[in-house]
Amino acid sequence: MDSLQDLLGDLVADVDALVLFSPSGSYYERVTEAVGSDVDVVVVSGENAVGANAFVDLPLAFADVGERIRFGVEGALDNAYVDDGDVLACVTSVFSDELDTVSRVRADADRRSGVYDLFVHSRADPAVIRDVLDLVVELGRKGQKGEPVGALFVVGDAGKVMNKSRPLSYNPFEKSHVHVGDPIVNVMLKEFSRLDGAFVISDSGKIVSAYRYLEGSAEGVDIPKGLGTRHMAAAGITRDTNAVAVVLSESDGLVRAFKGGDLVLELDPEEY
Amino acid sequence: MVDWRTLVLTNFDYLLAIAVLVVGFVAGYLVGRVNERVLRAIGVQDAVEGTSVERTARRFGTSVVSLIARFTSWIVYVVAIVLALAVTRLVDLRALWYRVVGYAPAVAFAAAVLAFSFLVGDKAEIVVAERLRGVKIPEIGVIPVAVKYAIVFVAALVALGQLGVATLPLLVVFTAVVFGAVVFALIATKDLLTSAAAGAYVLLNQPYGIGDEIRVAENQGIVQEVDLFVTRVENDGEEFIIPNHVVMRNGAVRVRN
Repeated sequence: MDSLQDLLGDLVADVDALVLFSPSGSYYERVTEAVGSDVDVVVVSGENAVGANAFVDLPLAFADVGERIRFGVEGALDNAYVDDGDVLACVTSVFSDELDTVSRVRADADRRSGVYDLFVHSRADPAVIRDVLDLVVELGRKGQKGEPVGALFVVGDAGKVMNKSRPLSYNPFEKSHVHVGDPIVNVMLKEFSRLDGAFVISDSGKIVSAYRYLEGSAEGVDIPKGLGTRHMAAAGITRDTNAVAVVLSESDGLVRAFKGGDLVLELDPEEY
Repeated sequence: MVDWRTLVLTNFDYLLAIAVLVVGFVAGYLVGRVNERVLRAIGVQDAVEGTSVERTARRFGTSVVSLIARFTSWIVYVVAIVLALAVTRLVDLRALWYRVVGYAPAVAFAAAVLAFSFLVGDKAEIVVAERLRGVKIPEIGVIPVAVKYAIVFVAALVALGQLGVATLPLLVVFTAVVFGAVVFALIATKDLLTSAAAGAYVLLNQPYGIGDEIRVAENQGIVQEVDLFVTRVENDGEEFIIPNHVVMRNGAVRVRN
């Protein structure tokens, strides 16, 4: 007869590493004492408050647990904290701020979604990509005066993007020095989001231009059926340049991020 | 039957002294209370939060604000006592008076300047440290401490000057150190300064912008980024990071085709 402990203990039996999502300092200490040196402990969090050796920076508090764990595991793999094929126990929170969930995952280097890659190995600064995502999520939640809006931001590799696009009208950001993440920008971009075309943002977060018609070739781009021309243009430009594109869909209200022509991240702004 | 009139008249000085004392103590207490209120209202408490002066005050179960308030009260008390003594003519105050009047304000001022400089120095240390928190160099911790002690040092010079102590040698040393630091900084950051000056022009006038193809000193490519110090120009597989003073000195060629 199995006791409850045995049954649930299977979840963490023989794991190679423990991945903790935003643990408190005391919990982290208890964990490191309990597991000793047999099991690696990886901390995934917004900041390394517990001083862990193996630490993955979580730029966005993913509301979707699957996405969050995928990010953490890919980050751990990328930093070589865990090896391909390791079995990991991920401890995270779903319903409260405290750790309440354990998930058993196999780290598989071949099946990456690219969500960690999107933040860390893009041309643009991770903080810039996070700021743009924050902005787009906010735009998706509030819309423009209550109406749903669509938007397309191309982040990074701005010189090349500018050469692969053409202006639809005068650039309102010409000779301006506005960066995403400046407090004024949220309001400004909300007003400008009614403009057609894409926003172009440089590696360091400077808003280079609005009103750009992207001329990247969509040839060979494979994105899920049903997405419109805005997504197609986003995927196309990321295939032709080293930029990342963040799209807010006008029809279903979801935020999607593209890199290298592929859809790597899908978020529902309502969950943030 | 007591003759109140004669009693009052003969002891008028003493009654007056008592009245002065009472008024003085009440006024001192009120001044202290009002001062405390005002200090709290203008946010002194928040401003000194976390400084070592405040922490020391806390250890003695008080705070900087109530200490200052207490201090103002005590000044009024002392003035009241001195006035009362003067009225009763119990002590010959003239000898004391000259010394006190001649020297006390300077001492008080010196003490106030020193105390204030510790507060400001602490605050400056905290602010600078917070500003530098993003810089991940362990040795950076020297800068906030240096800022603090520079402020305290200057205040100490002022305080000593008030007390009439010769501070000229200290002043000379301090000037030499500051002058040396400034010259050193100027020489060390010469290129950065010229770049920044050129960068200000490039950023404001935008002779070229992100996406333009330019050539600077044999380096040709597409502008990827322009900031205050450098211009990043990229062609296939190569990214040139060109200091803005090079752009100014050599000029940039905009390639149009």
